[in-house]
Amino acid sequence: MSQETYNAVFLASHWLFVFFALMLLLFAFSWHHADRKERKDRFKNLPGAGTIGELVVLSGSNELPPDTWFPVPREGILGSLRSCDLVVPCPGVRSQHLDFSWQDGTGLLIRPRVGCEVLVDGVPVSRRGAYADTPLLHGSVLQIGSAVLRLQLFSALSHTNRPFVPQTPAPGSGSAQWFPPVQQPMQPPVQDPYTSAPAYPAPPIPPPLQSSAADSSVPDQPSRDPARQPQSEPRRKRADRWKEDWSE
Amino acid sequence: MKKKSSGRFRFSAAAVLLSALVFLVPAVLHKQDEPVVHALYLLAVLVPCVMLLCETVLARMFALDRMIMALTLWLCSVGIAALAMSDADAALAQALRCGAAVVALLIGGIMMRSLSPSLLTSACTAFLGLLILAGRLISSSLDLGLNEAALALLLVAFASLLARQGPVSALLLGAAGLALLLLCRDYANAVFWGITVLLLIFAADGRLVIVFPALAVAVLAFFGAYILAPPGAFQASSPLSVLVSAGWVGTEPLPEAFTVLDHESFFFPLAGHFGLVFAGLTVLLFLPFALRGGAVATFARTRFHAVLAMGAVLLLSLHALTALLSVFGFMPLSRLRLPFLTGALPDLCAEGFLAGILCGVSGRNDADLAEDAHLAMLAK
Repeated sequence: MSQETYNAVFLASHWLFVFFALMLLLFAFSWHHADRKERKDRFKNLPGAGTIGELVVLSGSNELPPDTWFPVPREGILGSLRSCDLVVPCPGVRSQHLDFSWQDGTGLLIRPRVGCEVLVDGVPVSRRGAYADTPLLHGSVLQIGSAVLRLQLFSALSHTNRPFVPQTPAPGSGSAQWFPPVQQPMQPPVQDPYTSAPAYPAPPIPPPLQSSAADSSVPDQPSRDPARQPQSEPRRKRADRWKEDWSE
Repeated sequence: MKKKSSGRFRFSAAAVLLSALVFLVPAVLHKQDEPVVHALYLLAVLVPCVMLLCETVLARMFALDRMIMALTLWLCSVGIAALAMSDADAALAQALRCGAAVVALLIGGIMMRSLSPSLLTSACTAFLGLLILAGRLISSSLDLGLNEAALALLLVAFASLLARQGPVSALLLGAAGLALLLLCRDYANAVFWGITVLLLIFAADGRLVIVFPALAVAVLAFFGAYILAPPGAFQASSPLSVLVSAGWVGTEPLPEAFTVLDHESFFFPLAGHFGLVFAGLTVLLFLPFALRGGAVATFARTRFHAVLAMGAVLLLSLHALTALLSVFGFMPLSRLRLPFLTGALPDLCAEGFLAGILCGVSGRNDADLAEDAHLAMLAK
């Protein structure tokens, strides 16, 4: 190969490399953008993704009026600071008041920070010791400072480890699925023992999503019961998944 | 209607094709010995095949993030190509080191599937990380160059402590790691670690009572290190003029000036052989890498995984950024290497492990989303 030919091929190949590198950069951004869009669409179809339910304000403050609700993530911090996962700007609520975490089969575990007082269904929760014995369940009332909040869980979550009694399906209902009895929301206490605040108003009618969740009752441990697996969508074979993966 | 090919397919196809070309062209053009040409042909087959295997089979098998994996593999293959132009045997050795980094990536990805924030996790990883850093202080013979691996372990411990025990204990661990790094005179890693810890503390606990003392500790530590450092430790060096001598598309053979540059950083041979444009575009791939990692951290469900993923992204991104700044002479630190473009095996494995953490957290996110879809279906 002559020197001139070598130089020409060298130059052409290196500009080709540059072109491919530029394409790689563009393709990487396009890939990231497409994935982001796809994820956004999935979240649009699953508005409750990443959350376990909602906290409805029964009694709050001027900044947090009653009937306000916020989605509850699986774990995080509740406090009055804006960087908290659940922001409760009420008197008596510290900047970081408590940590909460969801535990399948048990409920929402509450762990107050040092010097913070918390009541779950009127029962004080201590930081150390048996805080796991008083988890927040569907309809449980949480009192922090002057705020009173009620937890409403999504219906498909397994949130209680109580022994369940199978309910005989109603004759002629045509459904063999079992649903546990509805857990009635607990009545909030009349007097707040911490702040001696006046009795807060009666629990409001929950929003449609929550009321339907409560009405349809909460199935216990749905994922562990093979009989309760959805029948409409048969499990795909591994070969099908591979085929889909390689189809591109 | 014909379906448009996805970004993933196009990226993977272009990466595999280019990784074959960068080895084939020197094999065809260069008048070299037969064994060297054979080694180049071997790399031209081996590297694309491994990339293809990892991006399809292994990513699928271990539910890893394909984009992060593809970017990692491409950066590794660029490092091999930078050596292949001048020394095929060194390129083969680098290919083996990259194989070890891929194994570390898989280990990191698998670990993230099962690792949970507990006191045991914190204690074990913190002990190992601090021991590695302290080993260099105890005896110079214990200096194994594992500082980046120690940082990866400390990051796991830090995330676990921050998620479970609160910011104070995490901050203490961060300060201990920073102090050891400064005592070891590893200023570059101390900068990465200090900034990462500060940003994570700020993100996880926005209270000023935590953030200000953390900032004060970091500033004092760096000021003390600057005062106590030996003369010449902080000296800006700009090899940009040397890189420019190679031209926009590179030159063959490399100019003499390249011999004085850091041999373990592959950015210089890359810019020399392939030109500044190619090297610049390759470095820019760290941007989608960081964006993807940030998205993975944002979508993580638990605090532990979010902190861990964000920490891994910050460590790798800051590493890349400071290495680039030092090339332009803006950073008074020398011997900074771009992630995955280094010849040091412990550094490569540690960077692979950090990328594996991101891949694993992404896999967990996907699994959580699938579970949510399942729950939503049950609730209907």
